[in-house]
Amino acid sequence: MDLFQDNPLLSGVRQMLGAFAKQAIRPAAPRHDREESMPWDLMKLALGMGMTQTSVLDGRKKLTGTDDEADPKKPKSQARIGVVASEEMAYGCAGISLALAGSGLACSPVARMGTEEQKQEFRRLLKGLDENGRVKVAAMALSEPATGSDISGLKTSARPDGDHWIIRGSKQWITNGQSASAYVVWAQTDPAIGRAGVRGFIVGRDMPGLVPGKKETKLGIRASETAQVHFEDVRVHKDMMLGVGGTSEGLADTKKMLDSTRPAVGAGATGIARAAYELLLDRVRSGSLHGTPMASHQHIMFELAEMQMEIEASRLLAHRAAWMADHNLENVAVASMAKAHAARTAQMVTTRAMVLLGDEALEPGHPVEKWYRDAKIYDIFEGTGQIQRRIIAKQMIGQNPT
Amino acid sequence: MDFTLDDEQQMVVQTMRRFADRELRSWAADADRAGKPPDKLAATARDLGFYLDAVPADADGLLDGSYSHLTRALRGFELGRGCAALAALLETNVEPALAVGAWGGAEAKRALYRSLASGGLAVYYHDHRGVFEIEADGAAVRISGRLGPSPALGVAAHALLSTRELVALVPLDGSRRDAMTPSGWRAASWGTVTLDATRVPGELVLARGAAATDATATLLAWARTSLAARAVGVAVGAMEHAERYSHERIQFGQPIGTFESLIRLRDDALTAIAAARLMTLHAAWSLDAGDPGAFDAASRARVVAGDVVSRSTIDAVQIFGGYGFVNDFPVEKLMRDARAFEALYGDERLGRVLAAKAV
Repeated sequence: MDLFQDNPLLSGVRQMLGAFAKQAIRPAAPRHDREESMPWDLMKLALGMGMTQTSVLDGRKKLTGTDDEADPKKPKSQARIGVVASEEMAYGCAGISLALAGSGLACSPVARMGTEEQKQEFRRLLKGLDENGRVKVAAMALSEPATGSDISGLKTSARPDGDHWIIRGSKQWITNGQSASAYVVWAQTDPAIGRAGVRGFIVGRDMPGLVPGKKETKLGIRASETAQVHFEDVRVHKDMMLGVGGTSEGLADTKKMLDSTRPAVGAGATGIARAAYELLLDRVRSGSLHGTPMASHQHIMFELAEMQMEIEASRLLAHRAAWMADHNLENVAVASMAKAHAARTAQMVTTRAMVLLGDEALEPGHPVEKWYRDAKIYDIFEGTGQIQRRIIAKQMIGQNPT
Repeated sequence: MDFTLDDEQQMVVQTMRRFADRELRSWAADADRAGKPPDKLAATARDLGFYLDAVPADADGLLDGSYSHLTRALRGFELGRGCAALAALLETNVEPALAVGAWGGAEAKRALYRSLASGGLAVYYHDHRGVFEIEADGAAVRISGRLGPSPALGVAAHALLSTRELVALVPLDGSRRDAMTPSGWRAASWGTVTLDATRVPGELVLARGAAATDATATLLAWARTSLAARAVGVAVGAMEHAERYSHERIQFGQPIGTFESLIRLRDDALTAIAAARLMTLHAAWSLDAGDPGAFDAASRARVVAGDVVSRSTIDAVQIFGGYGFVNDFPVEKLMRDARAFEALYGDERLGRVLAAKAV
C-alpha cells in the first residue's frame, strides 16, 4: 500500500467522519466546553452509527468496515484507520472526540491481554445503557497523584486474599473516571519485582470500595470527563486479573500499548491544528485589511504557509508510524516523533492563529481560543513531550526505549 | 547609564510586590472562577493609590508633577505577577487620565476627573482595524463602531477612543453595552459598547487630523509599555510557580527540576524575560525622557513581551504536566491570561509591517 495516498477504505473513513465532525460534533462543541459536560446525546447517536465504546475490544470498527486480515504477516490498515479517524474527530472537537473514544483506552489492555472470559465480562459490563440512560463507558485507571510520567512507581497495591485480590490506592487524571461502568485498574502485586509486578484488573462500577472522586476542571478537552478514582480495599476475583498464565510482561505490556496509540494521539493534535488553520484561511480569503485583501499580505500568508507545512509534516509522521505498525515493523521512535511533532504543531498553529485574529479571538466561545486550550493536552497526556524525546533519544543510542 | 532604582522606585516595587503576593494572588483564583473582581479590590486599590494616579493633584487626584512611565512599568511587573485580570482593572484609568490631561480642555477634564474621583472607570480603546466611522456634526462628531472587546468596558463610564483621525473622550451612558466573560482575564469586567452615530460634543474631542495621529502614537506607546510590563510579570509568575513545583515533583527518582530539558525550558524563559523586562524599562524610560524613539521602543517591547508571556505560560503548564492542565494549580489560568497581551490593540508585528510599508 502506498503511504502517500489514502486507499479507498481510508478515504471513506475520512469522508464519513469528517462529515460527522462538521455536522454533529462542531455545533455541540461550544456548549460542552462551556458547561464542562460529557456529550451523552452525541455518544448515543454515535452508538447508533456503529461507533461502539467496545470497538477496540471487538477487533473491528463497524463504522469503518472490517479489516480483519487473517494472515498476521500480511499488512493491515487498522492503525492507519485509527490515525485518519482520530484526525477527523479532533478536527470536530478534541474533547468530544475523547468522550466518544475514551473507553478504547480501557478496552485496549483487555483486548491485548485478556482471556475470552475477561473480554466477555468487559463487554457485559458495558452492554446497554446505565441507570441514567447514558451510554456505558469504561475507564483506564493508571496514573496516580505521584505517578505521572514515571509509571513504574505505582502506589496502588493488590494483595492476594484466597481467590481474590484486594486493591487499595488512588488514581488521578482518569478519563471517564466518574461515569465509567467498567474500570481497568493497574496495581502493584509484588513490589519486590518492580515493574513486572504491575497488573491490570477488571473492576465493575458496583464493586464495594470503588469510589469515584473529584471531577477536574480543566484548561481544555472539557467535554471529556477527567476525575480521580479511589479504590478502598476493592475485592476483585483472581479471574479478573489481566495477563494471567505468564503471557504478560505486566507493565511493559501497558507501555507497548501506549506506544501503539501514539500515532493516533498525534493525529488528534493534527486535527486541531488543521481546524485552526482552515478557519484562519477562510477568514483570510474573504477578509480585508485597511482596504487591501488579507491574502495580499505576506505577513499573513507566510504564517499560513508555515502552518500548512507543519500540519503536513505531522500528518505524514503519524501515517508513517501507523503504516509501520500495520506492517509489524518496530515503530516506537517514529510513533514518539509523530506524537511530539503534532503536539508542537497544534500549539504553534493555535497560538499564532490567535495572534493573527487579534481581539476577535478573545470573544467568549471563539473556536480558535478553545482549540488553543485543547491543544496543550497533546503535549502532556499519553507521554509528555519530554517522555517522547527521551524515547527517541534512547532509541538513537541503542537503549531500550521503553 | 544607571540601572539602580531610586528610593521612591524601590518603595513602589516593595509595596506592589507585597500587594501582589498577599492580595492579588490570593484573590486571583476565586476572581477567575467567579468572572468578576472581588468586592474588596476597589477599596484596597484606592488605598494604594490606584485609579487616580494619573489625575492631577489639583483635580483631587494623586499626580504631583509629571507622570513616570518607568514607575508604572515597575509597578506593572508586580501586578502581572499577581493577577493579569485585576491588573488590567487597576491600570485602566491611566491612558484616559493622561490623555485628557495632555490634550483636553476644561470641560473634558471636569467630566473625566469628576467621574474617576467618584469611582468611575475609563478605558482606552484604539481602532486598530480602521473600521470606525466618524462624521462631523458642527463642532461635535458622530461616531459609529463597536468598542471592544476590552477589559473594564463592561462597567466603565468613559472610553477614550483613538482612530487615525480622532481622539475623543466618549461618555458611555446611553450606548448599548454587552458585558462578557472571555477565557482569559476573566475577572476584568470585559465588555463591548456599540456606538451608533453617538454624538460626542466638541469639548470632548481631544485631537483631530495630524494632531490625532500624533496623540494616538503617544497613547499607544503608553498602553503598549504598560501591557508589556504586565506581560513580563505574568511570565515571571509562571516561572516562579514552575520553579517551586519542579523542586517538589519527583519522577524517575529525582526532582523534575533536575532534568536538563526542564532546566533549559526554564532557563530559556528567564533569558527571554530578562530581555523583555529591559526592553520594557527602556521604552518607559524613553517615554519619560521625551525621546522620539519611545514609540518604536514601546512597540518592540510589546512584541517581545507578547512572545515571552505566550511561551512562558505554555511551558509552565508543560512543567506542571497533568497538574498544569487542571485549575487546582495556578498555571492553566496564566496560559489563558497570556492571550490578551498579544490580542489587545491588534497584532503588533502586523502593525509594524504595515507601518514600514507606509514609509
